[in-house]
Amino acid sequence: MQALSCKKALGSVQAFTARPQTSVKRANLQVVAVSIKEVRVRIGSVSNTKKITEAMKLVAAAKVRRAQEAVVNGRPFAENLVKVLYGVNQRLRVEDVDSPLVAQRPVKSVALVVVTGDRGLCGGYNNFVIKKTEARAKELEGMGINVRLICVGRKGGVYFRRRPQYNIESTFEVGQQPTIKEAQAIADDIFADFVSQEVDKVELIYTKFVSLISGSPVIQTLLPLSPSGEVCDINGNCVDAAEDEVFKLTTREGQLVVESEQVRTATDDFDAGLIFEQDPVQIVDALLPLYLNASLLRSLQEALASELAARMNAMSNASDNAGELKKSLSRIMNRKRQARITTELSEIVAGASSV
Amino acid sequence: MTLQVCIMPPDRIFWNDQADEIILPTNTGQMGVLTNHAPLITALDIGVTLIRSNSNWNPVALMGGFALVKQNQVTILVNEAESAQTIGVDEAEIAFQEAKTKLEQSQGEKQRVEATFVFKRARARYQVVKQLGV
Repeated sequence: MQALSCKKALGSVQAFTARPQTSVKRANLQVVAVSIKEVRVRIGSVSNTKKITEAMKLVAAAKVRRAQEAVVNGRPFAENLVKVLYGVNQRLRVEDVDSPLVAQRPVKSVALVVVTGDRGLCGGYNNFVIKKTEARAKELEGMGINVRLICVGRKGGVYFRRRPQYNIESTFEVGQQPTIKEAQAIADDIFADFVSQEVDKVELIYTKFVSLISGSPVIQTLLPLSPSGEVCDINGNCVDAAEDEVFKLTTREGQLVVESEQVRTATDDFDAGLIFEQDPVQIVDALLPLYLNASLLRSLQEALASELAARMNAMSNASDNAGELKKSLSRIMNRKRQARITTELSEIVAGASSV
Repeated sequence: MTLQVCIMPPDRIFWNDQADEIILPTNTGQMGVLTNHAPLITALDIGVTLIRSNSNWNPVALMGGFALVKQNQVTILVNEAESAQTIGVDEAEIAFQEAKTKLEQSQGEKQRVEATFVFKRARARYQVVKQLGV
């Protein structure tokens, strides 16, 4: 597919200024001394661009549906995990938990996991995340904390690689859908970093899926985990692990909308007679890496959904712009065509009257 | 009376079927579960679980997690699960040997932690295909 972005189309309208004519502003039409044929060619190219952007919008809409199914498929796992986590936590005191993943240490080095997309043409999506990352990195370095980046998604990787002041530890590509293999690879990397004490904190910067129109990048603390599985952002606001927000893409009055509902997993007490094959502490040890994997996967899925929504919007705007541009170009062409006919007629009339 | 075995990695339900017996690779050794087992929760190491239906043993590689046994329902939550159909024999063997050498050559805490994971997983996959070959 030719990647003709509408930005490029508009750009070439400005490129018209390179020729000895004035550029076209949409509001006030100035007479351009460009031939009719060239304008016709221009209209053709703008319609093609419009078709492409419309197709991209539909493709993105179809993919949002798939992304949503992926989140729904992950729910049984998440629910069961939360139930067991709660049940096990009741059997032991928080102080007893010894897992390396909950170790709170004085923070000297932080790893930032930055989730961007692989492709562009999604409006401000990638840019918002990158700007947020830069701001956070600056903030941390101002406090004397070492920062290293783990870039998920080609756009972020390319951006930060070009800037040598950032220490990039590794980059990952996501592909069509985030799978557990990729989540596992990233989780392995940060697990090894954290457990070997090369970093003392791992933060995740990704775009939460809020609605079809807006997404907001958030910074979440991935490691150290809290033993009860709470999800915290850097300001210390914590959300219970049992509460979850599920989003659903539906249509209302012919428009695509996103509905989200809060679900709370029922967490009953464990059977009093439940045998713990190993110490509850060891069991929590086994649960926490699972929890890390699952929440990382969930964040990647949400980030993908946000990217698709952003792309839908950007392509929808681009299609609208292309439509308007086509209209104004058609108007110019018609005026010129009429002007030419008028001159021909007046020449003929002048010639006839001189006879 | 049979067991209902449900294996779940984070993104889907991998296996949800009846079985007569299941052998789990726990942190503290191999453990067998038959029908009417007492309720139990155990952590699972990266390894192979064997599921028996009548006299057929099905090996499945599990990449660490835990198992909950309650009223003949065995719920297994793991990072990832692979059955013999999706593992190629030769590549599993090559991957296993590579992981082994990498583990022996690893230096530094972080490399060793990573290499151990990779080794254990390659070993689990290799054991699954070896089981079928036997």
